[in-house]
Amino acid sequence: MTEFFIRRTLQSVLVLFLITLVTFGLIHAAPGGPFQIMLSPGLTPEALQMQAHNMGLDRPLPIQYFSWLGDLLQGDLGYTFKNHVAIGDILWPTIKNTFILMGVAWLLTLIIAIPWGIYNSTKEYSLSDQTASFISYIGFAMPTFWFGIILQQIFSIKLDWLPLADMYSMDKEGQVGNLLLHLILPVTVLTLGFLAAYVKYSRASMLEILDQDYVRTARAKGVREGKVIYKHALRNALIPVITIVALDLPLLVAGAALTESVFNWPGMGRLFVQMAVAREYSVLMAITLLTSVIVILGNLLADLLYAVVDPRVQLGKKGGKSA
Amino acid sequence: MAEKLLEIENLTAGFLTMSGTVKATEQVSISIDKGQTVCLVGESGSGKSVTSLAIMRLIDYSGGAILDGSIKFRGEDLTKRSQAEMIQTRGNKIAMIFQDPMSSLNPVFTVGDQIAESIMLHRKKGKKEARKMAVDMLRLVGIPAPEIRAKQYPHELSGGMCQRVVIAIALACEPDLLIADEPTTALDVTVQAQILDLLRSLQKELGMSILMITHDMGVAAEMADRIAVMYAGIIVEEGSASDIFARPSHPYTEGLLKSVPGLEGARGEELFTIKGNIPGLSQLPEGCRFHPRCPHAKEICREKAPPAFTVKGDHHAACWMYMGDGGEAGWTIESIPEVSR
Amino acid sequence: MSEANMQTSAVISPVEVQAAKPLERPPGPWRTAWSKFRRNPYAMTGLVVLLVFIVSGLAAPWLTKYDPAKIDLLYANLKAGTDAHLLGTDEMGRDIFARLLYSARVSLLVGFAVAAGSVVIGTLVGSFSGYFGGFIDTCFMRLVDVMNSIPLLFLNILVLAIFGTEFSYMIIVLILTSWMSVARLVRGTFLQLREMQYVEAARAIGVSNFGIIFRHLLRNASFPIIVNATLMVGAAILSESALSFLGLGIQAPQTSWGLMLSNAQEFMLVDPLQAVYPGVCILLVVLAVNFIGDGIQDSLNPRQKMSERRIDRWRKSFLKSKI
Repeated sequence: MTEFFIRRTLQSVLVLFLITLVTFGLIHAAPGGPFQIMLSPGLTPEALQMQAHNMGLDRPLPIQYFSWLGDLLQGDLGYTFKNHVAIGDILWPTIKNTFILMGVAWLLTLIIAIPWGIYNSTKEYSLSDQTASFISYIGFAMPTFWFGIILQQIFSIKLDWLPLADMYSMDKEGQVGNLLLHLILPVTVLTLGFLAAYVKYSRASMLEILDQDYVRTARAKGVREGKVIYKHALRNALIPVITIVALDLPLLVAGAALTESVFNWPGMGRLFVQMAVAREYSVLMAITLLTSVIVILGNLLADLLYAVVDPRVQLGKKGGKSA
Repeated sequence: MAEKLLEIENLTAGFLTMSGTVKATEQVSISIDKGQTVCLVGESGSGKSVTSLAIMRLIDYSGGAILDGSIKFRGEDLTKRSQAEMIQTRGNKIAMIFQDPMSSLNPVFTVGDQIAESIMLHRKKGKKEARKMAVDMLRLVGIPAPEIRAKQYPHELSGGMCQRVVIAIALACEPDLLIADEPTTALDVTVQAQILDLLRSLQKELGMSILMITHDMGVAAEMADRIAVMYAGIIVEEGSASDIFARPSHPYTEGLLKSVPGLEGARGEELFTIKGNIPGLSQLPEGCRFHPRCPHAKEICREKAPPAFTVKGDHHAACWMYMGDGGEAGWTIESIPEVSR
Repeated sequence: MSEANMQTSAVISPVEVQAAKPLERPPGPWRTAWSKFRRNPYAMTGLVVLLVFIVSGLAAPWLTKYDPAKIDLLYANLKAGTDAHLLGTDEMGRDIFARLLYSARVSLLVGFAVAAGSVVIGTLVGSFSGYFGGFIDTCFMRLVDVMNSIPLLFLNILVLAIFGTEFSYMIIVLILTSWMSVARLVRGTFLQLREMQYVEAARAIGVSNFGIIFRHLLRNASFPIIVNATLMVGAAILSESALSFLGLGIQAPQTSWGLMLSNAQEFMLVDPLQAVYPGVCILLVVLAVNFIGDGIQDSLNPRQKMSERRIDRWRKSFLKSKI
């Protein structure tokens, strides 16, 4: 167990290190170099030189890289180029906003998708199954942001039932009721997108389990069908589903760039797009890194959960079978 | 005459596919007396597993159905029962063990709990008592240190151990009939013998009947009182084990026996094989289903399927060779006798 | 399940066909697949829809007399049908029908170019990784880990923000973030093939086995690669529309469905229908491509395992281009 943990952590650190290299490298590979990108426009060459020197941009690349890395390790994410705001101060409220949006959508998805998918696996090709299948196909092929726009047109503009965008109405900052009202449309969009994958996934996972010999053994024992499904099959079927759920956890922080942009939700995704357009590279680097860390943590958590729910998996021991 | 426990008559079972119904067994009749062991022998794809699933009415869950015929268990027709009524019988009066012991056990429950479940269901015992009885069952099937094993998960046991656990689950409620579907195929040869010995001694102890499904004539020789040989969904020969081994009457049975590699066969001697393959269910040949592979095939074999003829006493074979051949009544094509009376 | 399954599958197994009619040569895998594909109504509909889009994209100049980029503010926001503008004009007086047609070119070009590029890179990386194993394999697989740990939509945005929103850059960055699944697939096939007896035999008599493996690799992995590539076309089209919608993809005066949607959202109050057309086009094309992919998949190997992998890929594409 500990050995597995150490090995996985070392692996994760390595991957993370490579990601810092990639991000740093990308920005320094930009045409015109970091000077042109990172410095304020419209300065005289002398002033540019001066500013570059102040920001340490005239040092050799490896030194710049390690000093940046050192700052990161101390929790210093750096400052924006414009206005020199601490990036941390921008990020934390944004993360909270994203967490609200994604958390609601994600929980709603799980509550609907897993029971529905499992029900459908026992009633293959029923009306319910076909509906889910239809939703999946549409959900997979439809641009989510377009669905958002259409919902806005119907429910905000035409019917005027729901707010068009933003997190709160102008003078109702912080009111929970108002927040919920604003959540409805973006959550619908996100849930539909999630649902498409999760229903299919839990259905497929359950179908595979229902095909297993031990399900037949349970039936041969005289266990009634309902119990065969929710006791014998379900626990096995949930193992891969839980893994996927854990793998998707980072979305709670990384947010939804497109949906947030459509609904003007002040979350991480929208922030990333805005900062990209504004060429605030230090913010982009910080967000990319942060989300990568969380993705890696999510992967680690998925592995751990797997070991918890599946007695066959013995972490760190060779021969521990997976699934 | 011994008491009849199970009587299958003219059982036709099959699968519902996109392109219509595919019959996996046709007009299968077998009967099992109390305390008897009957072996159903055939290649994979011959319909023997479908027959066993049909008896358990588990075929309903594999996209199949019983299309015709009756399965009388102690005089009561199981095909007329609902699934809700079947669960009273399954695991209680009729139990089943399957081919692959490793995959037959649920990986997320301890073996003790898996045995106890059956006891709790049919014997209406509490959890604690059922667990204790589960340990007793593990001891009965010859698992050392049963208290410890009961708390382990299937992946922690060897294949032979797992099959013992599967047997313990099946026998937990002392069934009248045990259906064993290739119980030793997935095991090492030495373990195979142990499991067969175990089944035999438990049969004596509990006085149950066994329907053993196997493709292995060696297993049949060791276990069977009676043998039914299946080919492409029908029973081609049926009789007592001694009769069948002494005088295999259907050319297919003959081939099966010849293709068993014996210890006495000369080294380097080529093994006997039956040429060709068992036909797919949708490409069954006209006439006798075995005729394309039969060395003795005649004109009539290509045209008309043979009924079961009596070879001698209660030894029957579905082959035209035996038309009018010394049978008690001298069967003709028109009067088709029932196989197992 | 064993025997019951074997029996049902025996019905369609080509081996059995061979046994019944030993004289006839069994049809090749491509022929069999095509004859099954042809009987799949969804797949055939998908094929027809895709062909319609390809043809109308190619024949755009003959299907409309309007220049999609021509701005004419006098004729802005015309209703459908006025002045031979089939679907009306947008806020700049550009003909919407013409824009839709020319956008089809962009989307399909991106889709196929990205799929092709990813297959090439993925096959190269995967076969090198699988053939040489050891250190090279470790390096490549770490790279795949890194790529899978960075949120790919963020990475796309980051790269385009740094290097500029050139059309070719977008295709390159989409390829660079899509090749991983093909690489994994090819590597897996390679590892499997390496263990095969005939490769051992070839190695033993000194034949260069790279050629052997490569030939067999192409034979064994071509079907899954094709399925993968088909679904990648859809994913790339969605990615393109997402990036263009965010302002980081196609730029005016060029045109694309995503870009049209981004305009339409701004002028939602004026003409709600403008947002409908491009979205429907994206939906139809991606749906068509996915149906084709599924059709190929089903005609080759209608197994449960694969469908789970397919769902997983859908999920990834969702995270990348639609959230």
